[in-house]
Amino acid sequence: MLRYNFKYEWLLLIRNRWIQLLSILLFLLFGFAVYNGNQKVEARQANIETAVNELKTQEAETLSVLDSLEKGHKVSVSRWRLPSRPVVIGNSLSRVVNMPAKSTAFIATGQSDLFSHYVEPTVTGDDLSLSYTEMTSPVQLLFGSFDLAFVIIYLLPLLIIAFSFNVLASERESGTLKLLASQPIRIRTWVLQKLGLRFFWLVLCICITLIIVFAIFSFHFAANWTSLLVLLAYIIVYALFWFVLAFATNIWIHSSAKNAIALIGFWVLFVLLSPSILNQLSNSLYPMPSRTLMLNQVRTLKAEATKKQDEILDSYLRDHPEYAINDSTQTRNFYHRYMATQNLIKEELRPVVEKFETQLESQHQWAHTFSWLSPALTVQNALNDLAGTSEKDYQEFRHQSLAFAQEWRNFFLPFMFNNQEFKKSDYKNLPAFEFTYKKDATHLRILGLLGMSLLIILFVFVLKPKNKQVNIVA
Amino acid sequence: MIRINNLTKTYGDFTALDALSLHVNEGEIYCLLGANGAGKTTTINLLLGFIKPTSGSAYINDINVVEQPKLTKQHLAYIPENLMLYPSLTAIENLDYFSGIANKKFKKGELESFLEEAGLQTSAFNKSVAKYSKGMRQKVGIAIALAKDAKVLLLDEPTSGLDPKASNEFGQLLQKLRGKGVATLMATHDLFRAKEVATTIGVMKDGQLKQQWSVDELSLKELEDSYLETMSYNTLQS
Repeated sequence: MLRYNFKYEWLLLIRNRWIQLLSILLFLLFGFAVYNGNQKVEARQANIETAVNELKTQEAETLSVLDSLEKGHKVSVSRWRLPSRPVVIGNSLSRVVNMPAKSTAFIATGQSDLFSHYVEPTVTGDDLSLSYTEMTSPVQLLFGSFDLAFVIIYLLPLLIIAFSFNVLASERESGTLKLLASQPIRIRTWVLQKLGLRFFWLVLCICITLIIVFAIFSFHFAANWTSLLVLLAYIIVYALFWFVLAFATNIWIHSSAKNAIALIGFWVLFVLLSPSILNQLSNSLYPMPSRTLMLNQVRTLKAEATKKQDEILDSYLRDHPEYAINDSTQTRNFYHRYMATQNLIKEELRPVVEKFETQLESQHQWAHTFSWLSPALTVQNALNDLAGTSEKDYQEFRHQSLAFAQEWRNFFLPFMFNNQEFKKSDYKNLPAFEFTYKKDATHLRILGLLGMSLLIILFVFVLKPKNKQVNIVA
Repeated sequence: MIRINNLTKTYGDFTALDALSLHVNEGEIYCLLGANGAGKTTTINLLLGFIKPTSGSAYINDINVVEQPKLTKQHLAYIPENLMLYPSLTAIENLDYFSGIANKKFKKGELESFLEEAGLQTSAFNKSVAKYSKGMRQKVGIAIALAKDAKVLLLDEPTSGLDPKASNEFGQLLQKLRGKGVATLMATHDLFRAKEVATTIGVMKDGQLKQQWSVDELSLKELEDSYLETMSYNTLQS
């Protein structure tokens, strides 16, 4: 039966113009989505590049001034802006701590429209002053981005529904079902084969159109073939899930209209409702402490610390005997007191910030644990991971950049507390930053989705037939 | 070939088929007459396994239709009142598909010979069936039965809506199949065609087989009178 179904399903799909329509539609959707995704990635890379170029220009100017100073030439820079002062270098030549886009970043916008991709930690700045939030149009956030993930998660199921909702009902409605059912075949197997073949042709259309679109947008296949395979695997598993739902609907519901309504209902449930319900529940179960209260606490602590700057500095120097100065001509200035205070504030703020982060982590953990309830959420997370735009990636960037900020401050502290001048030769020792993406284990969740699809097929075939017969005469 | 013993089908309080028993042997054409809702189509649906009986049993070639529906269908062919085919495919392709899924594989020449035997014009073989008349579609149905080498043919009002010429051609085809030893059970309203093609005629009413005659026992006039009498008598009784 499979051979004949294969041969004639192909003929029917071609003659009814389904394959042609699907291919054109997929090409247009994928094309527009990849174009949009690439535009965003290019803008992101351009922002980073601009910041890096600005830093390079500033570096060149600063090093030239430093060189002139070391050669004893007169420079037209105010005393407070002299680059021989470590605090000037630490604040003005701060590194562009950036999160470069993965080569697959165009696949999913993910959190990239919420967070910035570079920060510039300064020696006098604190962790809270590093802004990770991007200024974004609320209208765009409301409607989301038309990227590949959007096409796959939101639109592909609708295409699958249109392609599969009435495989059996149309046979009943057109009158061919009785002739079919009088053949020595099992209708469930026949429907499964028909949908299996449609799944096959759809996947083939997706693979071909996606590869063509990627080639048009100069995707580096050789360097990223594993990512491409993973992406195709995700799409195939997600499409399979929707075909399996269509299979169960075709078997259990007997009219095209009811099938369409049921499948659209599933789409609303799995794509729209369940992610939003999971999000609401995680917010209710793990409410975030007020950010305003936290900032107020920060301000109060800072104000108190400022009043006691001298005490704090004394205490700090007791803890850091390596910064003791025996030269009576040397004095402690504002920045010494400020840096010592910063450390204390950071220590005192740690419980407040940790409370905030623990709640956030709990929210994410909860949503992650139950994300299997929404196949759309599972695939969205998987695509975000693949694109390097997931919430985890931005958390990782935050952690790595905070660690670098500390390293940056630590580099300048001995200069500052020892009242040591910054030399041109010290420049090469400045800490450098390179972001590394963390590996993830999303593949297991995708396997879970595959398992769920197989379970539905098993349920339709093994458990249900004893109670319910496919209705031929309705 | 077809053996039905006390076959009953009820839907809640409604009895669609009431202890029906009949036999159709090799080379026989059994015509079931009766008004709408008499139980003719229910009988055919039960034999096809489309619905399950409440009680009783039915056999096709001595195979129980309830216990082994798939095996039963290897031996039977079915032509519904309005036989529908895939409109995007040609007659040859439809025949190839329906034979193929029944595990019967043929070359193009063989498929053409089945269609020819069923009386379809050669010029229509490779045309899309979308514009076929009902008579032409039924010829494709007969070709499917021929290709399947079915020993049992189940027909549900096959001549309704056919013009007299097409109806007559259909009758001739049935006689041809009868000559090949095919046992045919035909549900029909067409008394004249029944008298023409049948070997046995049964009259059903309210799910019961009320009368059964060998076609040689009665003339068309007598058949008509007996049929009407059976129908009206029972109506008066009820």
